[in-house]
Amino acid sequence: MKTVKVGFIPLIDAAIPIAAVECGFAEREGIQIELVRETSWANIRDKLIHDLFDASHMLAPLAVTTSLGLGNARVPLAVPFGLNANGNCITLSARLYRAMEEVLGHPPLDVRQSAQALKRVIDKRKASGEPPITFGVVFPFSVHAIIVRHWLRLGGIDPHNDVQFLVVPPPFMVANLSEGVIEGCCVGEPWNSRAVESGVGSIVVFGAEISRCAPDKVLALRDEMAAKEPEMVDRLLRAYRTAARWCQNRENHANLAHMLAQPQYINVAPKTVLNALSGMLAVNRTEGRSMPDFLRFEGDEINRPDPRKARWLYAEIANGLRQNLNTSQAEAAACVFRPDLFDTATGNNALPESQDPIGLKFGPAFDSNNLQGYIDALRG
Amino acid sequence: MTDQASILIIDENHVRAAIIQEGLREAGHVHVRWLNETANLLKHIVDIDPDIIVIDLESPNRDVLEQMFQVSRLVRRPIAMFVDQSDSASIRDAMLAGVSAYVVDGLKKERVKHILDMCVQRFQVFSRLEEELHEAKTALADRKVIERAKGILMTAKSLSEQDAYAMMRKAAMDQKRRLAEIARAIVMAEGMLK
Repeated sequence: MKTVKVGFIPLIDAAIPIAAVECGFAEREGIQIELVRETSWANIRDKLIHDLFDASHMLAPLAVTTSLGLGNARVPLAVPFGLNANGNCITLSARLYRAMEEVLGHPPLDVRQSAQALKRVIDKRKASGEPPITFGVVFPFSVHAIIVRHWLRLGGIDPHNDVQFLVVPPPFMVANLSEGVIEGCCVGEPWNSRAVESGVGSIVVFGAEISRCAPDKVLALRDEMAAKEPEMVDRLLRAYRTAARWCQNRENHANLAHMLAQPQYINVAPKTVLNALSGMLAVNRTEGRSMPDFLRFEGDEINRPDPRKARWLYAEIANGLRQNLNTSQAEAAACVFRPDLFDTATGNNALPESQDPIGLKFGPAFDSNNLQGYIDALRG
Repeated sequence: MTDQASILIIDENHVRAAIIQEGLREAGHVHVRWLNETANLLKHIVDIDPDIIVIDLESPNRDVLEQMFQVSRLVRRPIAMFVDQSDSASIRDAMLAGVSAYVVDGLKKERVKHILDMCVQRFQVFSRLEEELHEAKTALADRKVIERAKGILMTAKSLSEQDAYAMMRKAAMDQKRRLAEIARAIVMAEGMLK
């Protein structure tokens, strides 16, 4: 049986590759997946591009920047499968959250109000000469950074000039919040819940409140591997598809939570995993919130890699880097997402129904044929 | 010959960091610093302003360093990853050894390669030491449990030391298991039968 070496970061959105192994879906497709746990996205990228991994769990924007050479390497990658939509939160330090409650006279009621309250706090701090607020994000190129920017704009905050961003690995997020190095962060679970449990922070935004299905993590391969080993890719994708359906099914969540919680995977309490799977989180010391779409693993809108999503990622990345859009790079980005591989493996012949592949809930509508218009509208 | 390039080692493992520092100093690198405190990492790097950064792959802080490529205003000089990507063999060797390096632009390739080779070699030395230590610990634990099992058999079956040992040997050979495993089973069974 062919062995496929797959890298992953210990996060809940690594559920699909883990379930593909643990439930025997991979074996049923005639492949053996060897999962290798990693500590950083930089390791994941380097081991994938230098042939130490055959495939990997990866931040969707990192697959695009690596293919385009916008970061620290340039190797063409192929994304044949999306692993999840949403599952991240924006968490603010207890002190910053209190300051927002003060300007409002009550806790913020929704994401728009929280962003507006933050704007007033930022203006006050600017006036008194205090340093700007720093947000922790998990990687320079991540949907986390994009989510924070969208939320800030909702309150009229300029993400490029009014705040700062700092990369903080998830395991260090709570400590950095507590020490005041950062005052807010965007990260996946269990790290937001950890901040809430320890009284260090309050969750103010669920990623699913910003967009319906922005791509978060994906399955990435070297482009050259996708061409050379079509049989292996087919088998892997079929195993992932079965695993995605299994992971999405609520009846399996208790099992999935125990599976992911094991020491060799995420190494946390099963209850913590289960909370994220069910979308029921404590957002501060006294309140809980529930959102059924908090984290989704399955659906063609999520699993079938839509090139329009890659174009969106490219536009957001270029905007984040304050670079001008470049048509050939936008095309190259679109080619990273490979619905053809997904369709071949799964026998899919349906095209996506949705006009809008991202489903932003605020701000300018995204039109994949008019990236410049989208960016201009964002920059307002 | 001394080399003036300043090298920063980021590694939370004290022993390994010491081994690398020693190797670099022996090779004539006089400006070697070690950071084990990783809070405010970017700020420390800006203050130290190294030519070369060596970081272990176990550290999640590699992702923090990635930010340097995007936010060049954070550091005075642009930093790129070690050697050009075409030298895949070098990068693979380094990654297999568990180390990665970042280098300021403009440093001569041969000089950098020499330094990285040294670090890779020292990482391997450390891994071997760790392995040897692990093996020594296992061997010691094995010997203890075999002694105990032998004692149990001698008492329970009124055997001589030699016969008790021979009995365990035979069981291990018949079942194609390690002698220590058989001994552990005996010790465990005795505990349960007490």
